[in-house]
Amino acid sequence: MDPTSNLPERMSLQDDLAALRSDAQARIAEAGDLEALAALETEVVGKRSPIAAGRAGLRDLPDDERRALGQAINEVATEVEALIASRRAELGRAEHAVALASDAVDVTLPGRAPNRGSVNIIQQVMDEVVDIFVAMGYAVATGPEAETEYYNFTALNFPPAHPTRLVMDTLYLEYGEEPEEILLRTHTSPMQARYMEEHEPPVYLVVPGRVYRSDPLDPTHSPVFHQIEGLAVDTDITFGDLKGVLEHFAHEFLGADAETKFIPHFFPFTEPSAEMHVRHDEQWLELLGCGMVHPAVLEAAGYDSDQLTGFAFGMGADRLAMVRHGITDMRDLFDPDVRILEQYR
Amino acid sequence: MKVTLDWLRDFVDLPTDDPEDIALALESLGLEVENIEPIHYRFSNVVVGKVIEVKPHPNADKVRLTKVDVGSEVLEIVCGAWNFEEGAIVPVAVPGAVLQGDFAITQREIRGVTSHGMICSEQELELGEDADGIMVLDGDYPDAAGRVGQSFESLLPVDDVVFDIDLTPNRPDAMSVYGVARELAAYYDVPLREPDFPLDASNDEAGTSVSILDDEASPRFVGREVDDITVGPSPHWMRARLEAAGVRPINNVVDASNYAMIEFGHPTHAFDRDRLGDTIVVRRASEGETVTTLDGADRKLEPGDIVVADAERPVAIAGVMGGLNTEVNEDTQRALIEAAYWDPPSILLTGRRLDLRSEASARFERGMDPEACRHAADRVAELLGKYGGAKVGGVVDEYPAPPPPVVIELTMSEIERVLGIAIDSGSAASYLVRLGFEVEGSDPLIVTVPTRRPDVTRPADLIEEIARLHGYEKIPGRLRSGTGGGLPFAERRLRKLRSVMVGAGYHEVFLFSFIGKPDLDRLGLPDADPARTGIRVMNPLRDEEGVMRTTMLPGLLGAAALNQSRQIDDVQLFEIGKVFLPGPDKLPDQPDRLGFVAAGTRTAGWGRTGSGYDVYDATGLWETIAESMHLPEPGVQPVQRAPFHPGRAAAVTIGDEMIGIVGEIDPAVARAAGLEGRVIAGEIDVAPLQVDRGPWKYQEPSLYPPQVFDLAFQLSDEVGAGTVLDAIKTAAGDLLERLEVFDVYTGSTLDEGRKSIAVKLTLRAPDRTLSDEEAAPLRRSIVEAVISATGGALRGEL
Repeated sequence: MDPTSNLPERMSLQDDLAALRSDAQARIAEAGDLEALAALETEVVGKRSPIAAGRAGLRDLPDDERRALGQAINEVATEVEALIASRRAELGRAEHAVALASDAVDVTLPGRAPNRGSVNIIQQVMDEVVDIFVAMGYAVATGPEAETEYYNFTALNFPPAHPTRLVMDTLYLEYGEEPEEILLRTHTSPMQARYMEEHEPPVYLVVPGRVYRSDPLDPTHSPVFHQIEGLAVDTDITFGDLKGVLEHFAHEFLGADAETKFIPHFFPFTEPSAEMHVRHDEQWLELLGCGMVHPAVLEAAGYDSDQLTGFAFGMGADRLAMVRHGITDMRDLFDPDVRILEQYR
Repeated sequence: MKVTLDWLRDFVDLPTDDPEDIALALESLGLEVENIEPIHYRFSNVVVGKVIEVKPHPNADKVRLTKVDVGSEVLEIVCGAWNFEEGAIVPVAVPGAVLQGDFAITQREIRGVTSHGMICSEQELELGEDADGIMVLDGDYPDAAGRVGQSFESLLPVDDVVFDIDLTPNRPDAMSVYGVARELAAYYDVPLREPDFPLDASNDEAGTSVSILDDEASPRFVGREVDDITVGPSPHWMRARLEAAGVRPINNVVDASNYAMIEFGHPTHAFDRDRLGDTIVVRRASEGETVTTLDGADRKLEPGDIVVADAERPVAIAGVMGGLNTEVNEDTQRALIEAAYWDPPSILLTGRRLDLRSEASARFERGMDPEACRHAADRVAELLGKYGGAKVGGVVDEYPAPPPPVVIELTMSEIERVLGIAIDSGSAASYLVRLGFEVEGSDPLIVTVPTRRPDVTRPADLIEEIARLHGYEKIPGRLRSGTGGGLPFAERRLRKLRSVMVGAGYHEVFLFSFIGKPDLDRLGLPDADPARTGIRVMNPLRDEEGVMRTTMLPGLLGAAALNQSRQIDDVQLFEIGKVFLPGPDKLPDQPDRLGFVAAGTRTAGWGRTGSGYDVYDATGLWETIAESMHLPEPGVQPVQRAPFHPGRAAAVTIGDEMIGIVGEIDPAVARAAGLEGRVIAGEIDVAPLQVDRGPWKYQEPSLYPPQVFDLAFQLSDEVGAGTVLDAIKTAAGDLLERLEVFDVYTGSTLDEGRKSIAVKLTLRAPDRTLSDEEAAPLRRSIVEAVISATGGALRGEL
């Protein structure tokens, strides 16, 4: 066979390929879903497609024609396949979008949170105060709530049969032998004496804990409340250190702009004694009691008051919580109403 | 303690009139002002008038017709009071005045005569309670006659204020107007006016003899005699001052004593000398003695009590309360004014024992100034002379034991050691002198403490005096760090425990540490239960708070019930705190416990069904705690112990040690506590959770494929799942990665009294793929171990 006799035929094959391409292009664009596209793919580039037939016919052609025609077929096939892939991706995206749309919900409905509890606000405040002092290099200790009269009063320089021993109206326990009475500690200060008896100076200590007085529960009193005691004893502690440390505390706890002032006060176990007041919400509030450790307290614990000085302070955790969070009735602090507790989260 | 500014001005000229400034000065002295209460005397159209004519009303018997000179004019006024005559100086409300209760004064006709105003009583002017007659001013206010026509308020203190001072118990010397004035004089560095009472017969010897038998009880006793007293009301200004100080006026004798006490601090007592006799013995009471105090009560005395006695029997409990028999009354003419020093602890103990506390005993128990006794008695005598028409008589002054002077050496280096700032000895001496200390030398200062300052005994006390006058604000702060220590392990464990509880949905509550005996009854505890032996509070505020808690549960059940009563359905609460139990030591055992309670329906979120709490939530919480805190060998065992449900509670264990109970509360106990539905609770000792067992060790997860298979066993109902699980764990050994119970079944396909438990095992080796060949014998030995431990049978094929 004269190879040239096939020329028109070849020309027409080229035309067929062009027609095939433009036909496929239009049909791919029109394919409305992935299924239709898959059928079209089979028809256009599948095993029984004109492309496949054209490829099969190549083997009968002379080398040069085969190369030229093969290249033309591959070009069309590649292009059509790319069009199909692109259309498939397009249709896939559209189908996914439809699926997502049908899966949409009302996200403004309430979410499902795990049941979560809270640490009590008094505990939070105690932890926070303790942490402020730990950051300043203080140790932490706790002590017994049922305490001896000796540690609660005598070791702290409370004179016997003097109103100072009675200002803190004390709850006593029916326990133990006379003459040493067992009471519910009226302050966390007994740990000053207990700690100094057990430890060599220097001492830098805070003591959080529960204390008791025979005050009926009312908006400003409670028979049970909580204190954080502090004690620093070293060879060169001064009233200036007391002021500096407590001012720092006030700034950490209430904010750097918290204004403080110290006014003279009285505690049997400190001399000189002071109260620190803090300006909060436009008001001066009494925040804590403090002073230089009374030499008699150092001596009772076996420390040399000529060599050592110290300061001590005590603050009410309940009161701190009330001041900072605007709780005006102390009874609310001891109310286990979940609606109150939820606010402590 | 209340003091008025007007009264303070009797003793000191202050450089400011601003009450706020003065309050700040007092505060910086350590005399904290709790409240400043203004006293405003505002009377518009009330003037000082002079009665120039009094005649009968033409048409009425009970009222009179007066003419009153009010300066600018003479007013005709109808008056119903009869306690005045011509010449009296009186307050007159002229037309235009508005008195108490919006009572407007106008010209009005009274029985045919026009009255051009009203002559006023104290009550009508809101100055006192006296409504019996009009106020006659010339007796009470000597300069009133010179103020006719002027406004009535010109007689009264101008814009006075009451300072309510919260005095600390160490300052008996400041429990008076004079004491406060002394502090202010020292603060402002201005002179203090020393009082002086020139009395006729001031040093005459009294007819009364005094013998002190116990000079520790009373180192000094002063008696001042006054005769010819006319008991009656005190002048208005005195009553006004007393009332401002919070003391109710009674009569001129009582008022004089109170006035002198508020003014100078030292309490006095007046005896009716005609009933007292001439002999006074100051001594301790004898066993069995009694005295009838002026409140009419018979008081049994004890040997520690100090008494003032006549020759035979006590007539007063010294410093605490006078006796009825020698009390001053309306008929009293001759009196003895007692001013003594009483031993403070004795007064305190007597007052507390008899539950008698007064302004006087509050002062004596803090310690009065023995040097002030004479002065106090003389002041009362002077007031009675002036306002009670009395004649001042002689004095007896027994002073067997003057206090030894307290002298303290104070070095400047000690001041600096304590305060952190240097104060020169001149300034230090000046501060002390201003406060009435005697000072010699320069360094050390040799300081003699005034007898009114029992609180000053050591250098530290003087340093406080110096510091407060110098001003605490002038001492600069210095931030210094400690030597470390930080949070102990036990405290860190408590924080961890709290975070576990919070993560499990529980709110921490702070409840009181008291319970009442009925609380223990309601728990249904058997008599032998250790929680029954509560330590009683000797002086509880309420019966419900009479016992220290022995268990956390009553408080928590009550807290849950309170929430239910407020229609709050989902309640999960915990508390960490001490219980109090009798123990071998001097102090009770006070272990920390974790208690928890949950009740109601767990909030599940919308679209899901909430479920209640049951025993498995309680044991699950324990498992969570044990895992989160890396407890070794945690376990549970059935337990029957009130107040828990006998079939739905578990003892929780670490190894062999039982450390608490968790589970459902016996429904009867829950109902008694006011709770509805199933309630779970638990109480666990905290100390075992705080043991430092060293850091937990990392276990690398294996990446080799596991062998996962299910096993189901048919068992007797009596056999606990724990036995099955323990047997599996032992038999599977280290290869066991997970073990889950996924089904528990009882039903018709099983025999009566039998149940089925199905578990899923995950076995995995750290270093190899576990082959079927390796797993098969292991599986067999696991099954055999369970069968041998339980007597049960495998369901299905091996």
